[in-house]
Amino acid sequence: MNVPENLRYSSDHEWALADGGNVRVGITDYAQDALGDVVFVELPEVGAVVEANQSCSEVESTKSVSDIFAPVSGTIVAVNADLADEPERLNDDPYGEGWLFVIEPSDNDQLADLLDAASYRALTED
Amino acid sequence: MADPSGESPHRSPLHELHVDLGAKIVPFGGWDMPLSYDAGTLEEHRRCRTDAVVFDVSHLGTVRVSGPKAHAVLQETFTNDLERIEPGRAQYTHLLDPDDASVLDDIIVWWLDAETFDVMPNASNTDRVTDALAAADHVTEMTSTRAILAVQGPAARERLAAISPEAAEVGRFRVESFDWRGTACLVAGTGYTGEDGVELAVPLAVAEEVWSAVVRVGIMPAGLGARDTLRLEAGLPLHGHELGPGITPLQAGLGWVVRWDKPEFRGRAPLAAERDAGVSRRLAGLMVEGRRPPRGGQLVVRGDDVIGEVTSGNFSPTLERGIAMAFLPPDVEIGGIVDIDMRGTRTAAEIVAMPFVGR
Repeated sequence: MNVPENLRYSSDHEWALADGGNVRVGITDYAQDALGDVVFVELPEVGAVVEANQSCSEVESTKSVSDIFAPVSGTIVAVNADLADEPERLNDDPYGEGWLFVIEPSDNDQLADLLDAASYRALTED
Repeated sequence: MADPSGESPHRSPLHELHVDLGAKIVPFGGWDMPLSYDAGTLEEHRRCRTDAVVFDVSHLGTVRVSGPKAHAVLQETFTNDLERIEPGRAQYTHLLDPDDASVLDDIIVWWLDAETFDVMPNASNTDRVTDALAAADHVTEMTSTRAILAVQGPAARERLAAISPEAAEVGRFRVESFDWRGTACLVAGTGYTGEDGVELAVPLAVAEEVWSAVVRVGIMPAGLGARDTLRLEAGLPLHGHELGPGITPLQAGLGWVVRWDKPEFRGRAPLAAERDAGVSRRLAGLMVEGRRPPRGGQLVVRGDDVIGEVTSGNFSPTLERGIAMAFLPPDVEIGGIVDIDMRGTRTAAEIVAMPFVGR
């Protein structure tokens, strides 16, 4: 499984990237592989206020539906609208074109509380 | 995942080959079977609609019923009529509950010769079917003696002809024996995808060899994920979803499987009562506006009234829309609009004729 060193991770298999002062969020390679082919993504609205560890989005594959949890609290400032027509980007490029949304964090310390790559890798290898 | 019975799951004779091909293995009806391979469910599905795929369906049961009484026992047990076919043919039929005409199992019968039938129930219903046929002279469970490969798709026969012209030529709903390098095998022109194709029943000794040869001629392995989206697009019922306790063939839109001109079959009286009174609900096809897949258990709503529940739903790779089946009141008509409650979001769905895709 691909676990890039420069990202932080939640135990729910989201990744988070410091992006200017904001946090870009997606699902991990492990998560997309476990889900199987993604066919539908429901994204939050831009402007929505999200809470860390609360569901704010849904990803559906041919197999199942999964909640996406906000890794940090804050306000949604951007969403990946291309996923509406091309949800397969989550499978093809989970750390790139398959990003989900960008949060403007309300608490700048939460990002550091997430797992680093080594810890996340250990979690997925259990 | 633990089997609720506490027994360890059955494994297909092809299990090791699936693992080597990178299959994701999931529990299904007491068996560990491939969900998908490296290509993924969507690609496997599309390949079946445009070319050819092979499914390992060894988890289906095979119960061999033979002897002078076999024909009569099948006739008085199942709903369809063997008088409509002859040896060398396959027939789809139902086993009903004698008390309420629920469909206990849906079955394919391969009529091999005058007094020999291979009855093929769903994985988890094999014992039930064996019990129902106990009055026959010989009832032998054959499941563990063979593998079954379903080769399906518009190019299935053409590709299969490269390794077995004999098997590739079997007609639709015909059953024949064929020779695989000295071993006698069976082939039937049947399937569960809405495409043309054949199903091969091969003894264990040659199972791996036949599978490998099929894959080598460019027939892509496909798993249960694609099998489910394909049968859903084709409007075919799955036992435990569109058939099962409390569901009769008439409700499921499968009245053609019931031959009323037969004097007797299990469940005839309660089913006749339902026929005369009219069904209270009927299986309908639903197509949603967008891509979001409906899921089993989601409620179907009309105005303020809950009128049914989704029995099967998913994304249709061919239509690129969410599709579903649900039992709805008989006054719901093709072209009508209802809502499906998808985890709190109401999504409009049109009632459409099935199959969703194809003939």
